[in-house]
Order: sequence, then C-alpha cells, then structure tokens
Amino acid sequence: MDFEALAACLTTAACVVTQTTSGLIVGMLLFLVAAGVTLIFGVLKVVNFAHGTFYMLGGYVAYSTLNVTGSYTVAVLAGALAMAAFGVVFERALISRVYGSNVLMQLLICYAVVLIFDDLVKIVWGPEFHAMGMPPAFQVPPLFIAGGVVPPFYAVLIAIAALIAIVLGLGLSRTRLGKTVRAAAINPQMVSALGVNTTLLFAIVFAIGGGLAGLAGALAAPVRSLSPGMGFSILIESFIVTVIGGMGSIAGALVSALLIGMVRGFGTIGFPKFTDGLIYIVMIAILLTRPQGLFGRRQ
Amino acid sequence: MSGRPALRDALIALAALVVILAIPFFHRSPAFEDFVIRVSAMALFATSLNLLVGTTGMVSFGHGMFYGFGAYAFGLLMQMTDLSLPVAAVLAVAMTTIAALIVGAICVRLGSDYFAFVTLAFQMLFYSIIISWQSLTGGDQGLRGGIPRREIFGFELASQLHLYQFCAVVAVLGLLALRHVTESRFGRTLRMIRDNEHRAAFLGVVLWRARLGAFTLAGGFAGLGGVLAALFVSGAYPELADWPNSGQAIFAVMLGGIGSFLGPTLGAMILLALNDAVTRVTEYHGLVLGLVILISALGLRRGVLDYLRLIRSRRAPSGESR
Amino acid sequence: MVSRKIGRRGVLATGAAGLVAAPWVAGAQAKTLRIGMQSIISGPIALLGTSSRNALMMEQDRINAAGGFLGRPIEFVFRDSKGQPQEAARVARELVNSTGCELLVDAEASSASFAVQEVVRDLGVACLHTNSETSSLTADPKIRAPTAFRVARQGVHDAVAGSLYLADFATAKKLNKWATCSPDYAYGRDTTAQYLQFLKQFKPDVEVITEAWPKLGQPDFTEVITKLIQAKPQALFSLLYAGDLSAFVNQASVYALFSQMTMATPNVDYPVMAAIKQLPAGIQSATRYVETFPDVPENKAWGQAYLKRWNERPTNWSWQNTVAMQFYEEAIKKANSLDGKALAAALTGMKIKTPFGADGTITMREDHTTVGYALGWGQTTPKEPFIIDIKPADWGKIVEMETEWKKQQKYI
Repeated sequence: MDFEALAACLTTAACVVTQTTSGLIVGMLLFLVAAGVTLIFGVLKVVNFAHGTFYMLGGYVAYSTLNVTGSYTVAVLAGALAMAAFGVVFERALISRVYGSNVLMQLLICYAVVLIFDDLVKIVWGPEFHAMGMPPAFQVPPLFIAGGVVPPFYAVLIAIAALIAIVLGLGLSRTRLGKTVRAAAINPQMVSALGVNTTLLFAIVFAIGGGLAGLAGALAAPVRSLSPGMGFSILIESFIVTVIGGMGSIAGALVSALLIGMVRGFGTIGFPKFTDGLIYIVMIAILLTRPQGLFGRRQ
Repeated sequence: MSGRPALRDALIALAALVVILAIPFFHRSPAFEDFVIRVSAMALFATSLNLLVGTTGMVSFGHGMFYGFGAYAFGLLMQMTDLSLPVAAVLAVAMTTIAALIVGAICVRLGSDYFAFVTLAFQMLFYSIIISWQSLTGGDQGLRGGIPRREIFGFELASQLHLYQFCAVVAVLGLLALRHVTESRFGRTLRMIRDNEHRAAFLGVVLWRARLGAFTLAGGFAGLGGVLAALFVSGAYPELADWPNSGQAIFAVMLGGIGSFLGPTLGAMILLALNDAVTRVTEYHGLVLGLVILISALGLRRGVLDYLRLIRSRRAPSGESR
Repeated sequence: MVSRKIGRRGVLATGAAGLVAAPWVAGAQAKTLRIGMQSIISGPIALLGTSSRNALMMEQDRINAAGGFLGRPIEFVFRDSKGQPQEAARVARELVNSTGCELLVDAEASSASFAVQEVVRDLGVACLHTNSETSSLTADPKIRAPTAFRVARQGVHDAVAGSLYLADFATAKKLNKWATCSPDYAYGRDTTAQYLQFLKQFKPDVEVITEAWPKLGQPDFTEVITKLIQAKPQALFSLLYAGDLSAFVNQASVYALFSQMTMATPNVDYPVMAAIKQLPAGIQSATRYVETFPDVPENKAWGQAYLKRWNERPTNWSWQNTVAMQFYEEAIKKANSLDGKALAAALTGMKIKTPFGADGTITMREDHTTVGYALGWGQTTPKEPFIIDIKPADWGKIVEMETEWKKQQKYI
C-alpha cells in the first residue's frame, strides 16, 4: 500500500490526466467485450462463457488479414465481421439447443468451444505469440495535454469505443429492433406471441455480441500479444464488468468498465501489488449491497 | 424409509471398499492405484458440489476455493506443526468448514445468478490472496519441499499402496456420509427448496438457514477432497483453488449426472480417464476433450447416469411411479 | 424403492465404466529406451514446451545415429501437463510407472517443477529439470532431491551477472534513478529483489523511485506504462518475458517510453524479437539465447540447423534441453547404467564440452545445478543479430556472490 504516492498523484494535474486516460483506454476496450456478454445475457439469459474466444479469434483474423492486405482498417473490419458471422453460427448450431436448460449445460457447451478453438488457433497460427505491429499512420509521438500523455492511437480507440457505446445506447432505445430486443429481454414469450421472429432476433443479438468482441480483439491487436488461450483473462474481466454493472445493462457495462479502468489506473499507484484483489473486493461489496449490480433490474 | 436403505447404502459401500482394497493383493498396478487416489479426491469434490447443484439447486462457480483451502490448510499444518496426520486432516476439514460457513453466510441470500458470481468472486479473491501472501503460501510456487507424511498406525503414506488404501477408505466413508446427508430429513428439505422454494418457505423452512447448512457441509467435504489431493501431489498449489478447477468439478457433475448420487463420481472417473487417455495420444487434447463434451452434452442432454436412468424408466412398465 | 435399485446398479455401472475407461495397461520393458518429457504444450506459453521438444527431437536423432544409450535406441514420450502442478505430478508418475520411461526430462516451469521434484523424490528415478530457473529448486537443501538435477540457468546467477553489468552501465551513463516493472508472482518478486540487492551492493547510490507489478498475462499494461513515465526514472528494470514483454514493448512504444528512459531486461530473446515489429534500439538485455554468443561455429551451426528444421528460431529453453541430453549421454557412459543413484553419482561434478558453455564447457555442480553456461549482456538493435556489444559475465564473481546469498538464505 502506498497512500502517499496515491495522494501525490491525485493532487497533480498531469498524473490525474494521464492515469485517467489510461483508465479510459483499459475501460473502453473492456466495455466492447463486456457489452456483448451483457447484451446476450440480457436478451437470451445465456451466460456466454465462450466470449473470450470471440475476442481471441477477432485478433487473429485481423492479424492474418493485415498480413495479406496491409490495411489496418480492413483488418479490423474483417475481425469484427468474421466474429459476427461466427456468433450466428455458434448460436444456431450450439447455444440454441440448450435454451432454457440448466446454466451449467450452457457452461459445458461454451467450455467445449473454448477448448476446441484454443487448440485450433494453435494448429493454424502456431504456439508462439504474435504481435501485429503499430499501423504506420499511428507511428507518431504522443500528444501532451495538461502535462498528461495521450497517444493518438489510443485517442482513436477511445473515440471508436465511445461511438459504439452511443450507437448501442441509441439503437436500443430509439430503433424498432432495439425496442424489440429490450422487450424480448423482459418477456420473450410475449414478443414471440406478437409475431416477432425470435429466432432471427436471437441470432442478431449473438452477431452483435460476437462482432463487438471481435472488434475489440482486432482493435487491440497492434498493442497486445496474440496467443492461444489469450481469451481467458479477458473473459474473467468482462464477467466482473458485467456483474458489477448489472447483467443485461449496457449503461451498467459502460460505467463499470470505466470503474474497473479507474481502479486499475489509480490502483497501480496506491496498491501496486493488490490491484486484482482490490477489484474482487469492489465486486463483492457491490454485489452484497446491490445484488442486481449498479444498473441491473431486480430479479 | 430410514433404517433399511441406510443399511443397504452401508453394505454397498462396504462391498465397494472390499473390492477396491482387494485388487492390489491380486495385481499391483501403480497407474491404476494413482488413478483411484485421484478419483477419490475428485469424487469427494464433485459429489460435495452436487449437494449444492443437484440436491439444493444452488449453482456455485467457486467451489474450488474449498478444495484448495483444504489442501493448503492440511499442507501448512503438516509442514508447520508436529500434529499427527489424522489430526491435521480433521483440523484442515474443520477449518475449511468454518471458511465455508463464513463465505456462505455472506452469499446464500442472493438470487441464483448472483450467487454463482459472488462465489466465483470469493474464489478469485482467495486465489489472489494465495498468490500475494507469499511468505505463508509460497505464492504461485505453492507449498514446496513436500508434505511430511508422518506414519499413522504403521501406515506410511509415502508408500503408494498405503496411500491408495487410505484414500479409498476416506473417500468411501466420505461419500457414504454425503449419501446419508442427501437421504436424511435435511436432504429432503433441500430437495423441496430446489423444487419449490415458496412451498418450502410456506411449510416453515427457513430458506437461508437450510441453504447455509448445505453450503457449509459441501465446503467441508470439498476440503476433505483437497486433503487427499494434497497427499497425492505432496504439496498444495494455487491451481487447486483456481477457477478452472471449479470448472472441472462442474464438468464431472454434468458429465456423470446431476440427478444421481453417484453421477459426479462417475463423471470424475470419465473426466480423469479421458484426460489421461487423450493426453497420451495427442497434444491437442483440448480439441478432443471439447468435441467429446460437445457430443455428449448435445447428444444425451444430461449426464451419463441420468441418461441411463431415463432409458430404464422408459423401458420399465408404465404405472410405476418415480 | 426403484431409485434404490438404480443406486446399486449405479455402483456397478460406475465401477465397470471406470475399469473399461482407465488407461493403466503397463508398457512392457522394450529394447527401446523411453525417456519421459513433460512440459506446457498448450495455452499462452506453449512455446516453452514446443521449443523444448523441438530441441529434444534433434538430440534424439543425433544420439540414435551415434548408437543410442547403452546400445539401445532412445525414444521420447512427450506429455502436456498444462502447467498444472497436480497434473504434472500425475504425468511424471504415469511416465515412469505405466509408460515405462527410465529417464525423465522435466521441462516444466515454476510450480509444476516443484511438483515433479516431489514425485522424483518418491520414485528415485533420474530427472533433469531443464526449464525451471527458480533458485530454491536445487539451492535449498530441503527441496533438493537426490536424483534430480537442473540443467538450466538459475535466477541467482542471472541476478549477479545482470547487476554487475548494469552497475557498470549505470555508472558510465550516470543512471541513478531506477524504476522496476515485473510480473507479480514469485519469480518476478524474488528475482527483482535479488537484482536490486546486488545492484545496490555494486552501486550504492542507485535509488528505486517507483515499482509496478502487473499481473502475469495481463493483456493491457497501459496504466503501468503511464505510471512509469510519470515517475521520470532514468532507467527501467523489467522481468516481463515472452508475450508479456512483447506487449509491454509495443504499448510502451505508443507512449514513446524508450525515448524517456533506458530499459534493462534479461529477457529479450528470438521469439520476442520476432514478435515486436519495431524493436527499439538500445534496450539493455541479457542473452537468453543468440547464435552469436558464444561466437563459435558450433553454436551458429546448431541455431541454423534448428531454424532449418523447424522454420523458427530456437529459444533459451531449446539450448537448455539440448545440454540436458548431452549430460545424460556422458553420465550414462560413465555410470554404464540407467539407475537413478548411479546416474546421480556420475552427474555430480561432471563437466561436459558444449558450444553453450562460456568457455566451451558446462559443469554440473555438487548442489545439482549447472554453472559456466554462456551468460552475457548487450544491447538490442532492430536488425540481425538483434543483440550486439555482448559482454560475457564473470563466473568467478557470480559464484562468489551466489555463495554469499546462499549463506544469507541459510542454505549452507
């Protein structure tokens, strides 16, 4: 514990700006993954334990696409679209068979998928780790704002993630599809009785969730290492975000992803050796005082 | 209802024990004996989880915490004190039970999804404490240097045969005790809560108290499994308390059958045997194991033992109630 | 009533399934000599196992072409423990008890190697640890096992060699304010502490102004990087490795960290250099393995042969496993036996010729660990040979400081 360092940081503008942007970067990328988890749970009541696999595959698809096309934009789009398609296949072929059954049955199916794809990635891309490398457009020195450091690449990532958060939020509240999705989350039988094609709806939800995870994996690929099994730590983090924010709430996922980002950003200064433990304690405390999470509906 | 079935269970257990103990007198196979030792630990772990999942309807994602707790408590007691092995084992189980009581007291009132995730969070917290508290636990390297396996009544547990016999006896007695809990009045109350908690509450059951009882007992038996695991590896390692290990127990329960008492034991055997067989043949064991899980989960849609019971009940003359 | 009957049938079914499924058929003692090798072959650090295995397969071909061990051809049996200690213990026992392996190569890292150590203690078979760098595995007499030896670099050796080099480097460049950034687990914490202890001993005016402890396998190091930048140290010491090091360097480049401080790490190796597209120049690093150090033709030839056969560069783990087989080869010749005790006696104090030795030889010391292997520090450059200006470490000084450290730990 180093409260002195924490106090010193909180009273310096440069430190606050820099650690806050760090927290924003960590948080926004986490949000992209967690948004899919929470959306899928909200509508389908399925806890997608295979979500980390989407993230991993998104990164690898982008990596290979970049090697072929040389374009980061194309690579990111390919990662996101491939995972959207994969999400539909995953939902239709596997998850749709266990709707309504025990949550553990869903867990079993997802775990099988995680095992299979971790090995497939190893077969296709090899056991060694890969890095995509920074696109040339972003190989520029960082900006300095109020004494804090902000790299342009991260500014773009934050902007993209924020844009997606807004589109998701507006899409859910304003569009017909969004309203149907929200209605299905509350009462699927009623929505089905009203003539909505729930099969299609469920597939769309998985496409969005998978696409977002793939997008996150692809966007982060220039700065993170790709390796088989890399989805696991992301999965755990996005669960924490989902549970704290309230399962099914996009706004909750955003707030809690940023919260985790900030705990990271300032925890590394105040509690460098116990940041993780700190996050679990935050999670337990929130769940005990507000079991439905920050923005969740009561069960 | 109570007397004769209990006797029958005891006789079955005795018969199973006699068979297991007799095998080494006819044929010594170190690999088979290792397998039985590992199954003993895993069967206790998975069956105790099923007391929550199958009997009470509480899905815990963090059961591995108590398995790891038992292993660490036992390992530390043996390394740091001169207590005899059975005393250390009993103390370790008692400490695990108390830990389960405390965690349970905080968790059991939550709704089912949140219960699952809070247990997971507690497990992760426990895991990060093991990693961080290096001076006590050795951090990620675990308790090193071996657990002294002090002789008890002429038993030398460093010897494989004696360890085999010890684990078989402990596991069979442990399973018998769990069976007894499941079949007792308390077990019936738990099943009633699982099937309809409102009805149970209406009939005067204090829900949280019954659930807490189940959680505490399950934690204690998982701790016993952890003690056996610690004896097998002669150490305690953070992986025992990590979430993939909880996952193993969940798969054992799901593979074997959630609705049959011996389902988790069968599941543990299948999972371990499958793992051993596949890792011998290919490095892509994840791929093979994943496909097997997928096929069995989608094909049978339930555990193996539950499936066999379903087949039997379809074949049995109708009219027989169950 | 019905469920009772099922219960009994359940017992029978359970037993029967177990009997059919369990694979415990004992392998018959064949003429071929089986050698068990276990490691992590799946997941994020699968490279540990695969690059060890590649090297061992090359050794298998070489040894069999030369007539095998005691006239018997050798054959490796590879097993994946996934790095889980309980699985590692299980696999080690299975390799010996049912697969009929007469020698073990334990290519596990960290906790799994300690689990294997306990199995070896119980079984009494000969075992060479080829990847575990944790000093206590062999340095602590309570943990050392009679028939288990380490053929690998050892944390404390690295720490002395690195600190000596960095002390000189810091004096020359006037770097007094240091930061550390190491993975938050036993290896990271212990070894960082060792480096700092020795560094302060050699250069007392070194001051550590901030420490960061990211988690192992953490995907994002951003908050750690910004913390380091703000502390404004002159130099950064890091024990991150493999995928974590590559991710850290890539993310730190985004913040132009390398223009603000000098980085020192013992862990830049070929896979890291291959993965980092824009490797910054001037990172001070140890040579875990490079073809150009020691700069002898045999080393270069071996590295090229490996590259040709596997289409990738060897790792530090590759040479360690190669040397392990060279030790087995010599020890078996000398002992004329495969017995654990006989091999242990032959291995203790044995010195072999090998291109990976600092002076062309590596010695197995009485405390079951290797000394005299190639160990040097240099600086990175973005192109081949990637690490230049390599200065070999002074083994006399290393052993002297190591002895002092062992006394402090009450190991001797």
